[in-house]
Amino acid sequence: MRENKLIQYLVLIHWTLFYVTTVIDKIIPDVYPLWVGADFYTLFIKFFASLGLTDPIFATIALTGISFLEIVAFVCFLLSLFNLYKGKDKISEQWFYRGVSFSVLIFSFFSIGDQVFGDRFTLLEHTIFWIILVVSWVVYKYNSLTEERVIKFSLSGDVKIGLLIGILLTVITSYSIIDFSHDTFANKTNPIEGEEIIEDVYKFDLPFLGDKTTMENTLKAFEDNHPDLTIKYIYTGPEELNSKKKTHMLLYVFTERKQ
Amino acid sequence: MENKKINITNSVIGKDLIKYFILIYWILFWLLNVVDKAIGGAHFLFVGKDRFAQVQRFFDSLGLGDPIIANIALIITVGLETFALVFFCGALYHFAKKNMDATRSWFFMGIALTLITFTYFSVGDQVFGDHFELLEHGLFWFIGLLSWIIFIRVDKIQIFDNFSVGKKQLISSTVLVIAITAVTTFSIFWHNHTSFVERTQTVEAVKVTENKYKIQFPFLAGSNAFESSIAKFKTDNPTENITYIYTAPTPLRLGQSDGLIIYIQTEKK
Repeated sequence: MRENKLIQYLVLIHWTLFYVTTVIDKIIPDVYPLWVGADFYTLFIKFFASLGLTDPIFATIALTGISFLEIVAFVCFLLSLFNLYKGKDKISEQWFYRGVSFSVLIFSFFSIGDQVFGDRFTLLEHTIFWIILVVSWVVYKYNSLTEERVIKFSLSGDVKIGLLIGILLTVITSYSIIDFSHDTFANKTNPIEGEEIIEDVYKFDLPFLGDKTTMENTLKAFEDNHPDLTIKYIYTGPEELNSKKKTHMLLYVFTERKQ
Repeated sequence: MENKKINITNSVIGKDLIKYFILIYWILFWLLNVVDKAIGGAHFLFVGKDRFAQVQRFFDSLGLGDPIIANIALIITVGLETFALVFFCGALYHFAKKNMDATRSWFFMGIALTLITFTYFSVGDQVFGDHFELLEHGLFWFIGLLSWIIFIRVDKIQIFDNFSVGKKQLISSTVLVIAITAVTTFSIFWHNHTSFVERTQTVEAVKVTENKYKIQFPFLAGSNAFESSIAKFKTDNPTENITYIYTAPTPLRLGQSDGLIIYIQTEKK
């Protein structure tokens, strides 16, 4: 296979998968088993409410319009991929151009919305996707104008050594991952031992796997181990108290002696 | 004629340097990603990211709480990352040996695996609903694609011809660099000397109303400063019981100039 053809495939597969998952996210608007996605409906409702347009019809129409454009973009990328596979390079390029045009339109709409709604972070996000799409098109088009270099890879000595090192490293790292998972998975449910840092104030350092179940089990174990104490108040340590990425969550439990 | 030769050599050095930078960057990028997976958890001199916890929580949110699922996803990731690393290393080896054709083939495979990895991550981000990670992985995909284009086309780009610096320019730039470095170094060390104590230092509470107190922590303050400040508050106010602590949210703080602020509510014992 030619190098530029494979790059075109990789670009097309990326955008086709990007849009198919975006469309699925709109079809499945809530959290279900095997799909979480983002809740765009709530996001749109809140955005329009901030403008004073509290009627849900505005958010619904806007979301439907955006979804329509995304579906069109997805179909364009899918047809481009299909035609590339069939060897119809010119038609594939046309569909890719249409897909990129619709995508650029979508991200331009998003960026206008971000300015109106005052959300600067999503403005940055959408502008980055906008430029990635434009450059993707340049790479796709430019690639077809460059030399036709065929991927040259035979099972020579250096390739065999490379494959061997790759397999070895993968096996070692996989063993390490499974071992780490085996050693730490219990942290998800096991209660944590508290440390009395001040009289009647206990600190709990929750591990990265810790969630609501860990907290509930921790509090239950704490109450069982300290029958003479009553939990008066629980304070969640804010991020500023964490040692950067090393701490997941700190929990302070304030107690008092039972009368 | 001789001058022209020197210029051409310099130009080639410049283009080779860019290719070396690209190769070394991607090698270090994937090497550290693989090491991060191999080490797991935070250790002395390496914190990294607890990928098992992150991926396990993602799958748990889908209803797939069994750790085997997270392990399989991580092993697939490691396979892709390891082979990307190996192919970039091979490209660097062949590039050092001036075997340009093999360099290009190995580099191409490394880039193809990099693009596949980030596409795979992006699909996951959409399924798990993490749009910040989607942006991050989209950007890395883009950077991978651009790296490929720059690597294969850098020979066609006009780079400045001369790496040499004149004696006068060299002296003046060196003096300037040394002077600014000296001032900056003094400032950093002085700040360290005067401020490091704030990391653990107890902060005094200020009474705001009858039963409400404010503690304003410096930026360096960590959990030790918080704990010692609460301990001091309890010692200084033996007749008061802490009933609630309110953390001032970001909108109540002055831009980037306020650190953590807490309000303590009390009642008489």
